[in-house]
Amino acid sequence: MKSKRLVIFFSVVIALSFGVGAFAGALETFIGETGEIRIAGGTAHIPVMKAAAIRIMSHNPDIHISIAGGGSGVGIKQVGEGLVDIGNSGRKAKRAEISRYGLRMFKWAVDGVGIVVNPANKVRSLSQEQVVAIFAGKITNWQEVDGEDRKINLYTRDEASGTRAVFWKKALNKGKIAKNANFVVSNGAMKAAVSQDPYAIGYVSVGHMDDSLAGVAFDGIQPTLENVQSGKYPIARGLYSNTRGEPVGLVKKFIDYLFTTEGQKIVAQKGFVPVK
Amino acid sequence: MTNTQFPEKAVPLLSWMCGIVLLTAIASVLGFLFLKGWQSFNLQLIFGTTPPLEALLFKRRVFNGLFPAMVGTFSLVCLAVCWAIPVGIAAGIYLAEYARGKTRKFLNLIFDVLAGLPSIVVGLFGFSITIFLNRYLSSQIYPCLLISSIALAFLVLPYILRTTQTALEDQPASLRMTALALGASRMQNIGRVLLPQSLPGIMSGVILATGRCAEDTAVIMLTGAVATAGIPHSLFSNYEALPFYIYYISSQYADQEELASGYGAAIILLFICLMLFSLAFFIKKRVSLSAH
Amino acid sequence: MKRATEKTIEKLFFLSAFISGLITFSIFGFLLIPGLPLFSKGRFFSILTEPWVPHFGQFGIYPMITGTLAITLLTMLFAFPLSLGCATLINLENKSWFSALLRKTVEMMTGVPTVIYGFVGIFLLVPLVRNIFNIGSGMCVLSAALMLTLLVSPTMILLFCDSFTRVPHAYGDAVLAMGGTEVQKFLYVTLPNSWPGILVGVTLAFGRALGDTLIVLMIAGNAVQVPGALFDSARTLTSHIALVFAADYNSPEFQAIFTCAIVLYLFSSALAVAVRLIHDKRRIRV
Repeated sequence: MKSKRLVIFFSVVIALSFGVGAFAGALETFIGETGEIRIAGGTAHIPVMKAAAIRIMSHNPDIHISIAGGGSGVGIKQVGEGLVDIGNSGRKAKRAEISRYGLRMFKWAVDGVGIVVNPANKVRSLSQEQVVAIFAGKITNWQEVDGEDRKINLYTRDEASGTRAVFWKKALNKGKIAKNANFVVSNGAMKAAVSQDPYAIGYVSVGHMDDSLAGVAFDGIQPTLENVQSGKYPIARGLYSNTRGEPVGLVKKFIDYLFTTEGQKIVAQKGFVPVK
Repeated sequence: MTNTQFPEKAVPLLSWMCGIVLLTAIASVLGFLFLKGWQSFNLQLIFGTTPPLEALLFKRRVFNGLFPAMVGTFSLVCLAVCWAIPVGIAAGIYLAEYARGKTRKFLNLIFDVLAGLPSIVVGLFGFSITIFLNRYLSSQIYPCLLISSIALAFLVLPYILRTTQTALEDQPASLRMTALALGASRMQNIGRVLLPQSLPGIMSGVILATGRCAEDTAVIMLTGAVATAGIPHSLFSNYEALPFYIYYISSQYADQEELASGYGAAIILLFICLMLFSLAFFIKKRVSLSAH
Repeated sequence: MKRATEKTIEKLFFLSAFISGLITFSIFGFLLIPGLPLFSKGRFFSILTEPWVPHFGQFGIYPMITGTLAITLLTMLFAFPLSLGCATLINLENKSWFSALLRKTVEMMTGVPTVIYGFVGIFLLVPLVRNIFNIGSGMCVLSAALMLTLLVSPTMILLFCDSFTRVPHAYGDAVLAMGGTEVQKFLYVTLPNSWPGILVGVTLAFGRALGDTLIVLMIAGNAVQVPGALFDSARTLTSHIALVFAADYNSPEFQAIFTCAIVLYLFSSALAVAVRLIHDKRRIRV
């Protein structure tokens, strides 16, 4: 009897210590490490990267993490060419890219791409045909979609953008984007542009959407986090961190950190859907 | 009489209008900047949530302040000027004192071309060199502080070269001949007479080059400046810089606070550049006054 | 100083000049080489005349060339009269406080970084253009040209003023002695005699407007189209480089930006040659 209680007692103790270790251990693995991590790529990932980097660097001043943007295409190319350690992308790397660079992909969040307009714009719902026509330049006035009598100002992303790639494939069905669309270089830039122009329309990562923008329902479905999570919202994509070959050392620890409870909490905090 | 009277009457009026338009324009630009930015001016703008003393002594890192960008710009400028000064002054001396005839004409033309190159072209050249080195020398070479400073040095080399050359050439013939007439060698003439006299001019060129390095964005954008990197901890690492921060924030601010810090950064950069250019102008004025 | 040491130092001077000259050429070389694959396929002229649609395999930089020309020419259209007017004012009213203020302001303006103009452009000028003219997003050729005007005018004004003061006093005194007014002296003597300096100023300003990146990147809209109207969004060779430079190194897109850089290099070199020719012909100090 006594021995049974003892066994239970010890198992509980051991279980607890493992549990506590796992809890506090997220940042503990970085103690004693030195080195540099260079990160580049998707701009949607930047808020999460920054938050994680700040926590790691505050915990251990000998680690240096630098974060650059550039878009998913940049992330994949630069990590493939060895210019950075981690390349972020908001789209899956193409098969050609994977085989050429020997990429390993890690998906740590799910995000959506929402169509956005300025909050002053009353138009809040568009069908897919309307969206395709607007971005192709066939519908040029807000009046044609029950808005004001003003010209529609199109904003789109550069070709390296994963957000653009997903939007183009899933919302536009690979349709044309009009030549007179203004180009912005990141999700943050899209946000700034649309929130400043009352007659703008653009597309941005759902995690980046806030009060300065108004989301537009796509075929009746609002671009909210819940709809992305439940799968209702069709324009969804994963947020990936890619490395060339298997990650080792400090880089591996960083990527593992993104999957810990703490890391996934940061993901949720920044407006994305955690994978765990 | 009448068809000359109209332009004569119109000219003063039109020129007054131009003057007023220009002054109004620049006043609105600067006024707007200060109006929107003066409120964000406090220690927090620069040091974020880290205590200033510890940040200055590099004990603790600054995560949400301008300090890393300011240190980055400072290191960048110091390095770039370090590379550019010896080569620029030496080449300027050569052009002013030794080059003659066809060589002189040819070199003058080459340096005019160098001076006129758009900064993004110099930046792309820096990036191209980085890839080249990365492929053929060592895969550890990325766009970094060192490469940026060298590219910037190429950008401002013409400034230093030109001002040295002009300063030396401006020395009156009487001064030039005196030492030589007394038996000094060419080198002694340059080293002991001409250079010291031209120093103010050369200084103003150096300061101008410094200002140019501090404000440039296109070159550093392509050779190593990133949005987040902390204080540059090695020559071969990424870094932050003030003008890049302003560009980055202007298009990608996450909230009003970040935008306000962008205004603050713009005011700081403006202040630094204006100080440097005024200093250079002041020295130049002193020189031209004393020469006449 | 020993003769040998002196000779070494002199050699060092020569070496520095040589290296500096070499830099100019090597810049061209390092721009040409990465872009070569695109040329060798015989696509040189198509690059210069095609539109930019990477998805369909078209990497032409023609829209960017027209964008650059449109914005630069528009800038000169605004800046030249403005600068001439200001320089005239400074020259005519050179006793008054206003002219001194103007001159001091212009001198100070040469120190304002372009990124500041771009920054203020986004938040002040673009909404203004959008609301006043009610067309488009405000990010267009017009906005970029207006800001570029502010950028290039100060240097032009100072160069104009300089060339006005270099006109020999005797000429001007002759007009005044015959009973002419200051304005007449300016219009009929000073101005005609300073045309080389004016030409140099215009050329340098043109080069500066052509080569600027930040202002156009931030406020011209960056659409890949041939700008057909003042309020069209446009992209220049310079902002195209900044936007595309991070693409795949082996891709035609990446190689195409080197073509942009080479076009810019050749254009700015041509301008530099022009300035040097005027200089040599008329002994104008630049």
